[in-house]
Amino acid sequence: MLGRDHRLAIGLFLSLLAVAIVATMIAVRASALPDSASGKMLAVFDPRLEEPAMFAALVRAGGRPLRRTWLPSVWVVAGDAPGFAGSLKQAGAIGAYGELPISPELAGCFAYADARSRELFALRP
Amino acid sequence: MTDVAESSPARWLYASSTIIVAGCLIALIAFGVRATAGLFTAPISEAHGWGREVFGFAMAMQNLIWGLAGPFAGMVADRYGAMRVIVVGAFIYAAGTALMAFADTPGMLFLGGGVLMGIGIALTSFSIIMAAFGRLVAPEKRSWSFGIATAASSMGQFVFAPLGQLFIAAYGWQNALLLLAASTLLMVVLSVPLGASKGGVARGEKELDLSMRQALWRGFGHGSYLLLISGFFVCGFQIAFMTVHLPAYLIERGISASLAAWAIGIVGLFNVVGSYLAGVYGGHASRRQGLVFIYLARSAIIAAFILFPVTALSTVLFTASMGLLWLSTVPLTMGLVTLMFGTRYMATLYGFVFFSHQVGSFFGVWLGGYLYDRYGTYDPVWWISIALGVFAAIVHWPIREQLAASFAAPAR
Repeated sequence: MLGRDHRLAIGLFLSLLAVAIVATMIAVRASALPDSASGKMLAVFDPRLEEPAMFAALVRAGGRPLRRTWLPSVWVVAGDAPGFAGSLKQAGAIGAYGELPISPELAGCFAYADARSRELFALRP
Repeated sequence: MTDVAESSPARWLYASSTIIVAGCLIALIAFGVRATAGLFTAPISEAHGWGREVFGFAMAMQNLIWGLAGPFAGMVADRYGAMRVIVVGAFIYAAGTALMAFADTPGMLFLGGGVLMGIGIALTSFSIIMAAFGRLVAPEKRSWSFGIATAASSMGQFVFAPLGQLFIAAYGWQNALLLLAASTLLMVVLSVPLGASKGGVARGEKELDLSMRQALWRGFGHGSYLLLISGFFVCGFQIAFMTVHLPAYLIERGISASLAAWAIGIVGLFNVVGSYLAGVYGGHASRRQGLVFIYLARSAIIAAFILFPVTALSTVLFTASMGLLWLSTVPLTMGLVTLMFGTRYMATLYGFVFFSHQVGSFFGVWLGGYLYDRYGTYDPVWWISIALGVFAAIVHWPIREQLAASFAAPAR
């Protein structure tokens, strides 16, 4: 009897997880900047790349590295030249993004607290 | 208990699995949309030139209104049934979310994001869902259903956070709020299977036929209920304090921002598992003992964490174990309310217990900040959390895990 219940629970959670993953992937794509973009943005690198290599790529693209985020392969960088986002990709970045929909999620009953925690780790240029 | 599946012409609609899935999705939406608030802090504040405290105040207000409205939402649900309450709640929730998009004064933001959303959440959140499950699901599955509802609520944040971000990126923050408002209206459709619970009629054979006033009077005259209320205050205090202040504490202790973020993510993930397992446990074993264990374990784990040097390993172990204990109190607490008072007024009586939780949350956040500013360290609040955990274990211990005598029908 309970075996069927567990199967229902697992099926439900896996479905929800799949929805969350698909939504995240679509949201990541939607936050990708066009090659012509310039200004402050997030540069995303292959996580296997070493920090100096990422830094060098940012400079090579003509950008000013501002800070590394809590995801080590995601940097906040600024570049004023038109087409800076495209230059980042040519220099080795996977992509240039606006705010990324990735942050640790807590589930409390106090939305104020959850909002503050999310704000702290928001991947925002 | 009425076997709805047998008596209804649309059997699949009122089958227990349909009821469970629909209820879980409602809990998920109610929790999830609320959890996207953090995404709108910056755009709303920047668009209107407001300081972050305006948005923060609206959110704090939302939490207190949710807590205050909880007992009243429960009363309406117990009287008119979960479906009607959820339908009304969904429209209020949607109105509040939509109003945030057009709020051009702080007062309108407080009304939309604070008052209306707070009432909307109270009318649609897991306490109403669990009360409906309590009436519609067979008694042997009741605790399990409380666990899955709590876990589904937690999953709401995982699902809606990227959706909220997607909506903002694609359509701008105002339209994103309107889309989120529209998504809360899905709860109207999802509430249909819960319509099998009409409210005002579900009463176990052993329960006395009481009016709402009598139930409240007798409930507050029952010692175990008062102990449960005081214990749940602690849950709110500990969780809200850690949610807000744990990241800062970790970074202060030399943990990298990266690990701190992952640590928070670990809490969220393990919480889903812990909530579900607590529900399963409550169906087989003593809920009272389960709660005593959870509060004592929280105290012991917190003490070990702050007494020893904070390392990457201790951080991961701490957050994983704390995640398992995070909302695991919810199904057990609801289970005790149901056991002591039956299903007739469970939403109302749980509403008061939950109010205590929200008051505890407020104090956890506030005291965490206040004492840190005063002493320059989080240690005093950690120790208060430890002491409160022990207090909660002590007050749960004498709780009588049986139908309250004042609610029991005389034996024939």
